[in-house]
Amino acid sequence: MENALLIGLSRQTAMMRQMAVIANNLANMNTTAYKSQNMLFDEYVMPNASEQSPDKQLSFVQDYGQMRNLADGELQTTGNPLDVAIAGSGMFKVQTPNGIRYTRNGHLQLDASGQLVTSNGYAVLTAAGTNLTFTSDEGQITIASDGTVTTDKGQRGKIALVDFANMQDMKSEGDNLASTTQAEQQVANPRMIQGSIEGSNVKPILEMTNMIDVMRSYESAQKLVDAADDMRRQAITQIGSAV
Amino acid sequence: MQSLSIAATGMMAQQLNVEVISNNIANMSTSGFKRQRAEFQDLLYQNLRRVGTNSSDSGTIVPSGVQIGLGVKTGSVYRVMTQGDMNNTGNKLDLAVQGRGYFRVQMPSGTDAYTRAGNFQLSPTGQIVTSDGYTVAPGITIPPTATDITISNDGQVQATIPGQTAPQIVGQLELSSFQNEGGLDPQGDNLFLETAASGAPTTGNPASIGFGTIQQGFLETSNVNAVTEISDLITAQRAYEMNAKVITASDEMMSTTSNLK
Repeated sequence: MENALLIGLSRQTAMMRQMAVIANNLANMNTTAYKSQNMLFDEYVMPNASEQSPDKQLSFVQDYGQMRNLADGELQTTGNPLDVAIAGSGMFKVQTPNGIRYTRNGHLQLDASGQLVTSNGYAVLTAAGTNLTFTSDEGQITIASDGTVTTDKGQRGKIALVDFANMQDMKSEGDNLASTTQAEQQVANPRMIQGSIEGSNVKPILEMTNMIDVMRSYESAQKLVDAADDMRRQAITQIGSAV
Repeated sequence: MQSLSIAATGMMAQQLNVEVISNNIANMSTSGFKRQRAEFQDLLYQNLRRVGTNSSDSGTIVPSGVQIGLGVKTGSVYRVMTQGDMNNTGNKLDLAVQGRGYFRVQMPSGTDAYTRAGNFQLSPTGQIVTSDGYTVAPGITIPPTATDITISNDGQVQATIPGQTAPQIVGQLELSSFQNEGGLDPQGDNLFLETAASGAPTTGNPASIGFGTIQQGFLETSNVNAVTEISDLITAQRAYEMNAKVITASDEMMSTTSNLK
């Protein structure tokens, strides 16, 4: 069988997907609290076609999963009192119409009723699971590093910061939100920084190098397909003309 | 090739980022201007291999699936509501708000607009108006004979009139505040309109609880910081270039494929 063609194809399909992942990382270079992703590849060994087959084991490539780089993004100081960056692990808990979601995007604001919400208008929950609503005469809102919110009226609550056993097992939902079925854990030492935003942790140089690597690997896989095609053509013309 | 359209979303986002930054730089010396910042969010994900699904009958699950993100979108362009610097102009009718609150301006159409730019003037009838001639609420008229105008921190307007020993109180300025200042609708000319997102205005006297104080003879400058803007501009430009490179690379990959005999 002309397995070289199919092996080359498996490589190229995987490369296309990795290119999409790299493109998405680069597109999200300035996205608040975005975590870069990387494709994981695996060798997929096919059993022999038959006992007498001259082919040895065939190995295809398979993209079986993705890794999120969970390192903190750089801290961008905005000076906005309701911009809160998370240093270290933890995620904010957000009430959306589709249920509880988690995010590290700390660009918060007050909605028309004075409720603390994300930029999509979803309520940010406290450790007690309630919303935070402020009145207009409360003055400056101060958020301590452990998430305690204080205004002129005293302590108003503590913003929840939760963590999960396996951060790789989080489903990205877009809009900087993620969901999971895992149980929440309280972060032991929460650290929030008011007036700052966590940037994306995409390393442009790394992504560009990966991109060139993917592009060239794609080309070399193409060469393999070309060579296999050449062999087949020669077989047809030479064997065919001999008859 | 998804990477082509993904990179295109990235380029569009960075273009918008450059537009926001250039508007900030253009308004560096606009009084009362608040710098804006584009906030980006990741777009949808395609699930090629869903996380947490069973990978065998014995209940093992997929620990990390394959989710391909489809690019970036602009989440919001919000105003950073920090106090601008105070610029001492010495002009009697230049007013700066130190803290929360907007001046209410009566538009010719009868609606109310709100502004932080306190470069006011007098109309021919002696009324305090904005530089466009719109009345500043609640409408204070300075007597034509007045030689001096004093505006206190709490917004009381006093006029000194020749022949009178004590200054005459001619009115009280008001400030309006909003729950969500970011939700105000900018109209240009330093004016904002109330929206459903901003909530209804609360009106009160300056220096009362929840309102800032008024500084006479000062103007609030913009809170644009040149260093931040330029470094943001560099980042945006490079990000744009890198996304363009992804398009070139994807194009080359496609051309490799189409050269296949």
